[in-house]
Amino acid sequence: MIETFKQLLAKNEQLNKYDIGITIDEDRVATLTGEVDTWQQVVDIGHIAGGIKEIYSVVNNITVKGLEIPVPDYTKEIETARKIGVIHETDVLVIGAGVSGCSVARTMSKHSLRVAVVDMHDDVSMGASKANSGAIHPGHMAKAGTLKAKLNVKGNAMFTQLHEELGFDMKRRGGYGIGYDEEDKKVLEYIVKTAKLNGVPGCDFFPVDELLKLEPNIKGRPIIATHNTTMGTVEPYEVVIALANSAALNGVKFILGAQVYGIEILGDRDFTVITRKGLIRTKYIVNAAGVHADDVAEMVDDKFFTIHARRGTIPIFDKRIPYPYSTGIGTVSKTRNVESKGGGCGMTPEGNINSGPSATETPYKDDTATYKSDLDYAMRIAYSVVDYLKPSDVITYFTGVRAADYKEDFIIGMSKKVCGFVNVAAIQSPGFASSPAVAEMVEGIILDDCKAADIPVEDNPNYDPFLKPKANFRRLSHEEQDRLIQENPKYGHVICRCETITEGEILDVIHSPIVPTSVDAIKRRTRAGMGRCQGGFCQQKVVEILARELGKDWVEINLKDEGSNVLAAHNREEATTDEDA
Amino acid sequence: MKMLNCDVAVIGGGPAGLAAAAKARQLGAENVLILERDIRSGGILRQCVHDGFGLVRFGKRMSGGQYAQHFLDEVNELGIRQLLNTMVLEITKDRVIYACNETDGMLRITCGAIILAMGCRERTRQQVFIMGTRPAGILTAGAVQRYINIEGYLPGKKAVILGSGDIGLIMARRMTLEGMEVEGVYELMPTLGGLRRNKVQCLDEFGIPLHLSTTVTQVYGEQRLEGLTVQQVDENRNPIPGTERYIECDLLVLAVGLIPENELSIAAGIEMDPTTRGPVVDESMMTSIPGIFACGNVAAVFDLVDYVSETGETAARGAVRFLQGEICADEPYVQIEKGENVGVMIPQRFHPSCIGDEGLSVYLRVTKPLEKCVLLAKDGDREVYRKRHDIALPPEMLRADIKKDAAPAALKLEVNG
Ligand SMILES: Cc1cc2nc3c(=O)[nH]c(=O)nc-3n(C[C@H](O)[C@H](O)[C@H](O)COP(=O)(O)OP(=O)(O)OC[C@H]3O[C@@H](n4cnc5c(N)ncnc54)[C@H](O)[C@@H]3O)c2cc1C
Ligand SMILES: Cc1cc2nc3c(=O)[nH]c(=O)nc-3n(C[C@H](O)[C@H](O)[C@H](O)COP(=O)(O)OP(=O)(O)OC[C@H]3O[C@@H](n4cnc5c(N)ncnc54)[C@H](O)[C@@H]3O)c2cc1C
Repeated sequence: MIETFKQLLAKNEQLNKYDIGITIDEDRVATLTGEVDTWQQVVDIGHIAGGIKEIYSVVNNITVKGLEIPVPDYTKEIETARKIGVIHETDVLVIGAGVSGCSVARTMSKHSLRVAVVDMHDDVSMGASKANSGAIHPGHMAKAGTLKAKLNVKGNAMFTQLHEELGFDMKRRGGYGIGYDEEDKKVLEYIVKTAKLNGVPGCDFFPVDELLKLEPNIKGRPIIATHNTTMGTVEPYEVVIALANSAALNGVKFILGAQVYGIEILGDRDFTVITRKGLIRTKYIVNAAGVHADDVAEMVDDKFFTIHARRGTIPIFDKRIPYPYSTGIGTVSKTRNVESKGGGCGMTPEGNINSGPSATETPYKDDTATYKSDLDYAMRIAYSVVDYLKPSDVITYFTGVRAADYKEDFIIGMSKKVCGFVNVAAIQSPGFASSPAVAEMVEGIILDDCKAADIPVEDNPNYDPFLKPKANFRRLSHEEQDRLIQENPKYGHVICRCETITEGEILDVIHSPIVPTSVDAIKRRTRAGMGRCQGGFCQQKVVEILARELGKDWVEINLKDEGSNVLAAHNREEATTDEDA
Repeated sequence: MKMLNCDVAVIGGGPAGLAAAAKARQLGAENVLILERDIRSGGILRQCVHDGFGLVRFGKRMSGGQYAQHFLDEVNELGIRQLLNTMVLEITKDRVIYACNETDGMLRITCGAIILAMGCRERTRQQVFIMGTRPAGILTAGAVQRYINIEGYLPGKKAVILGSGDIGLIMARRMTLEGMEVEGVYELMPTLGGLRRNKVQCLDEFGIPLHLSTTVTQVYGEQRLEGLTVQQVDENRNPIPGTERYIECDLLVLAVGLIPENELSIAAGIEMDPTTRGPVVDESMMTSIPGIFACGNVAAVFDLVDYVSETGETAARGAVRFLQGEICADEPYVQIEKGENVGVMIPQRFHPSCIGDEGLSVYLRVTKPLEKCVLLAKDGDREVYRKRHDIALPPEMLRADIKKDAAPAALKLEVNG
């Protein structure tokens, strides 16, 4: 393996001048060291090692000359946590309240084990799970034979039931791939072949003539078309919040604003997890920490993989702009990035066109800032699919960070060294689509281990998979709206004018199991502030409602996490109502 | 569902809507109804504690509140009914309004005529493509104004203002008076965006610097805004590399433009003008749907509230004529042509034989600053209006009052500099 790596590196004219060290341990984990000039080179070399079949996993310790990535020191915080002492005891502790962690927690709540979830943010779904395209991919793009491919196909199918149980929005519009030349044709043929190998249902070639009749707005004359029937879209944060609420109703404890700083191993299946809120004792740990999964693995001294962060930016367009097709249409992008999807331009279940994402490797795992080059890339994709889009049609844009490893596959399994520590790592796209299947796999791993360790597990007799349907004022007929207001007058008070969200809906979510405490948390649950004025009108009203319902002062209300207070200070009790200058 | 009937329904109780309602009643409409989503009428003026309103109409400087109160008193004296806390959700081509509130539930209101007076909303950070993180501490000027003037809170300690329109300038002074530090006002364009008197009174008197041809390109801070980068721009408004300057601040105030709030109009199928972003209207402010009128900032962004009220009254006159069946529905429209240096213009078209005794007022903005210029309205070669202006700037609207006697059969507006 070392030889193969050295040969491959030597052949690479851009990279062969660097002195790169490689060691391989008994588990076939390669560790790379050395210094290069750019971050992209670090990633490229990691991929060379990861591409070698025999190598199981890659730890990439190569650094960039002159680039210091700060490593935070949590000594003080750990001391404080110890002083607070044990705040909670559980059987399964999930670290990370993204789609992976919340799916695992909800699935585990079917059993008698006690389950808890911690996250560093004050709300669930604050990582990649809130900043993605929300595509429920069919599984035709994932490399055949990978774990990713298997779980994607299965997860996609499982979303149907999940949607019925939890009531989040999902549209399965299906999708077409179209190609205009021989090169495109090869790509699409490869995709159909992959789909067959992966066992994707409903994915095949489609007669171009028929497609043009169905989708008259397709430009030019494609020479080949493929169809898949299972492509879907969701509003991703809505799914995660529903999963979390369902989990909480079934007994899962959520401890938010509780960053994990360290883990003590007391024995097999015996851990103390050190968090900002205090210590948590647990038998099992599920490491679903997204981009930080390798950092969390390091806390138990079993970092056998490195997560490299890949940033992606997505613009959202005004609902008023129609999508020209009735289903998703994908063209073959010539600048396609090999691992992350080349990106496309689709429509959210709410009817907003979105495009992208871009794909940029970054050494800063938490950097969700938007950069012009990334946004420009996503905008170009948008224009190429829907030529009448204009910059002024953009209502917002955001950036998420994918958590990729160098094998570019999911890492799911019990640690070989630390009994009771389960990794759910490197969950990059299609991690969202795969999440129900990921959870099922983790459930199997934990139950098997419980059996082996004679830990008794029964069914949770009170498990209820269903969530009460939400009132969606904006989707009702005027007669139904009237009835709703008669039941509860608060539905007659429109708070968000762009999305038509009422106070009744906001009160409903404030009084749900995972209590939203910030303006953005209300936004993700109700859409208040998600429209074209981006909260210009309703933010103050939401601050007012939150303060009233949570018994807080206005200045204590945050936009997102602690420290993001919307207002700086009280000014005076009675504001001026007349001239004063 | 509760059913109501009215002769004239006015959507929005800002200065445009109040003036329209009062006028409609005075002209004989029996049953006039104002629908306002806020707890009180007055519109944006409720939060404008500064003076400078009513100079054209009343010849004196009033605060926004005083100006609005004048019309509100009139509305009350006339016994006009206001439905407050009431959000209009839909209007239809056949003049039915659906609105809701907590006490009545959903209302179905059948109207003789409808006057749209919904005002405008502000452009956001995303619409001017500021890059970077998404922290708290980035607010539109209107939101800041509301927090400070109505709610009694300070949204930050040290502010940077982007946009030198009137709202930006007014807020620079307001925040300074409230004890906040205003680092400066930044303007993308090479010229001031607002009225000159506002620059003198709001910036110069307080020593607040104005930086033209400069914009905010990036913001920093995970939770609360920590700072931002300003950068100069070239003549094509592209940032010039190497001119970046970092400013530490905890508030970015965006005064980057207003957009007429026409979701109701668009959903009803009313024809829109992409330049005003409001409905296409005629001499009586009637939209493309007969019996539906638009006035004030929902029709086009006006600089002076006095003009806003005027258009409300014009719309009211039209609405009453419509009720009396006196609208020239059969006569084809004549487009008003935009000549030299004319940018945004309203109304866009007219019926030559329908100009009432009050004449026809055309409001417009010049496309570039002009000195010693002449505003002309022509019917072919015949001048029907002429006025000299020492100076004409894009932020300041010009008005051409064309008399009924001039009886134009066609119209072209131009400003010769
Ligand atoms: C731009 C973009 C587009 C994408 N598009 C799609 C798509 O269309 N379809 C699809 O299927 N997938 C897509 N993905 C991938 C998908 O978003 C991810 O696979 C999925 O959201 C991963 O979920 P997760 O729960 O594993 O991670 P995350 O959602 O990132 O959750 C990890 C959580 O761990 C927490 N955490 C981390 N460290 C700590 C710590 N020390 N202590 C406490 N908490 C911690 C974080 O706060 C975070 O909440 C996309 C991703 C991106 C970035
Ligand atoms: C900061 C600032 C400073 C200004 N300074 C000056 C100045 O110095 N001098 C000057 O002359 N002008 C000034 N103006 C401009 C002036 O305020 C506006 O021109 C004027 O308020 C516009 O009036 P309007 O009635 O068209 O709209 P608005 O005042 O915006 O009123 C619209 C009303 O419609 C209501 N509404 C909207 N949609 C609905 C719906 N669906 N259902 C029910 N109700 C609805 C709104 O709640 C609002 O009350 C300033 C404006 C601002 C923001």
